[in-house]
Amino acid sequence: MSSSQQPNLRLERFKAVAGSQNSILLSVLIALAIIFTLAEPLFFSVATAGNILTDWGSIVLLAAGQTLVIISGGIDLSVGGTLAISGVTSAWMMTTILGFDITTTGPDAYPPLIVGGLTAVGTGLAVGLVNAFLINKLRIVPFVATLATMGATLGFAIIISNGMPIGGPNDFSLISPINPTWMPFSWAVVGVIIVVTTVGLFLHRSRFGLHTYAIGSNAFAARAAGINVERHLTKVYALAGALAGLAGFYVYLRLGAGSPSSGVMRELDAIAAVVIGGASLMGGVGRMMGTVIGALILFTVQSGLIMAGVAPDWKKVVVAVLIAAAVAAQTLRPQNRAR
Amino acid sequence: MKKSYFKKAVALAGAAVFAIGLAGCAAEEEAAVTPTTDDTAVVAEDLTIAFVMGAESDPFFQAMKIGAEEEAAAQGVTLIWQGDPSNYSPETQIPIVDSVLAQQPDGLVLIPTDPTALQASVAKAVAAGIAVANVDTRVGDLTDVLTFITGDNEDGGAKAAEAIANAIGYTDGETYEVVIGLTSATATTNVSRKEGFEATIAASYPGIQIMDVAYSESNPEKASTNVNNWLTKYPNLDGIFAIDGTNASGAAAALQAKGLVGEVALVGYDAYPANVALIEAGVFTALIAQDPAAEARLAIQSLVEYLRNGTMPASAEVVIPNVTLDANTSAADLAKYTYVAN
Repeated sequence: MSSSQQPNLRLERFKAVAGSQNSILLSVLIALAIIFTLAEPLFFSVATAGNILTDWGSIVLLAAGQTLVIISGGIDLSVGGTLAISGVTSAWMMTTILGFDITTTGPDAYPPLIVGGLTAVGTGLAVGLVNAFLINKLRIVPFVATLATMGATLGFAIIISNGMPIGGPNDFSLISPINPTWMPFSWAVVGVIIVVTTVGLFLHRSRFGLHTYAIGSNAFAARAAGINVERHLTKVYALAGALAGLAGFYVYLRLGAGSPSSGVMRELDAIAAVVIGGASLMGGVGRMMGTVIGALILFTVQSGLIMAGVAPDWKKVVVAVLIAAAVAAQTLRPQNRAR
Repeated sequence: MKKSYFKKAVALAGAAVFAIGLAGCAAEEEAAVTPTTDDTAVVAEDLTIAFVMGAESDPFFQAMKIGAEEEAAAQGVTLIWQGDPSNYSPETQIPIVDSVLAQQPDGLVLIPTDPTALQASVAKAVAAGIAVANVDTRVGDLTDVLTFITGDNEDGGAKAAEAIANAIGYTDGETYEVVIGLTSATATTNVSRKEGFEATIAASYPGIQIMDVAYSESNPEKASTNVNNWLTKYPNLDGIFAIDGTNASGAAAALQAKGLVGEVALVGYDAYPANVALIEAGVFTALIAQDPAAEARLAIQSLVEYLRNGTMPASAEVVIPNVTLDANTSAADLAKYTYVAN
């Protein structure tokens, strides 16, 4: 091969690796589905798919934002807290400010829900901007900066709600499968898929994504190449915050209430989904599709273990083993080891 | 390993944030419950009662705070209300007790987060001449404790079993499928409620089979996930016992989303306002409610009577019964038992 063809060849190889990473993840997913179906035939059903997708909806929103942050070389520990405080402010807006309560159901609930959704996204965006300020202006490393906002958001969620879930208007049909016999997706999940696809296109098909990878690979080189690193990171953390706010609204729709304890430890689920999906915590590496399937694997395991009747005490152990195995399977592959 | 590290880190960050918040709130609260001098004219000296609870974020303690503040105002004593914002653990509670004792209150109401670890704190208080009462949970050795006031969790579990049996129209010879949503395997309240539930089922309703249990880890979304999967696995499920407020919220949401309200009996625990509102809608067959405000009132009352008049409480251990809230409960009673916060 002549040297002029080198860049093209590299691109081809990169595509091959990325492609086969997704196929490994899909194989794991299918293998898990087969194992759980053998253990409990009822697992292979539209109802189970609906259950898994319902769980997937909130975490994949957190994980989509986390994917951007991790590719940029950072970490966002505040997404769980942001989910909680956004759900709570959303409920507070609809009840205390707009005066609706849980007796408003069905399509009557749509007007307050729209305001509630905007409130949740706005709250998440604000938290993301605080993260960006701490990281860019005060020069606090992302791990510590977002650890601080995680504590603050979880705390404020309790303060605003007095520690109790705030029940408000809701239409539970938005979160139920569109058709329980053949269509496991709910309208809320369809919305999540549209949002995550859009973010994925931003990451893989725009200059925004290119810059994110560049900063995560080598922030110094990116700066030298003329990228405004601070401004770009502000966008990344703001977007991650807004997505976590949307996740907070999704959980509100799911519970019919804003609950201050709904975010606890969710950042770890999101990070697990991203890491299983093949992103590197060193930055510069990761694919949105990997994250999407990574989150599906997490909740397939969760549902499968309940359906198979595995004692709940064992659940954490099994999930831990699967995460370690999934990540080891990827990093030990020859192509990855060589890099 | 990693999780516990994160938990500690979260606790630290949370504590730092709350330290700032509390500095503002504490001053406000004390001002709110300190009586004016006119009210206490009959008393030779002002009494100060310290109240150290488990975790501020728990609605149970929010409701308890209301009772404590009301009684402190009625008795004309100063109340110091303290506790960790969200961690129910002896590691965070012991330093809080120490700092409260340094303020030299006359009496201490303590909700020990661990029966063994807080024993030394009780001894320390008594050695400093401070009278101690326990509420909700107790230290292992009650010798130094003036009075111990608690809700009856086993009785609550038994009442939940009765409520489920009534709702499904239990008849001998039939079999019924029931599941239990728990928060964790070790929370003492969960354990005693479950024991009370199982004992009543075994004794009076042998046809009811407990198919499975699962943990929510204090997250209502996880509680909802557990119920979703159960409804798929057990298409003929007859009833759910949601053992605390978190599980109750999650189970109620799952039944509403699956359109199974009224098809599956749901008995929850703890009278969160959002859940009480769902009794009327028929989502909850029944809610078992504790009366944390009454527990707090009685504890402060006993301490004040002892400190002012030397009167010992009539009984060293007082059990406040649970109540079953359902569609037949009067609006006044519903309002009385609903956990309210400021």
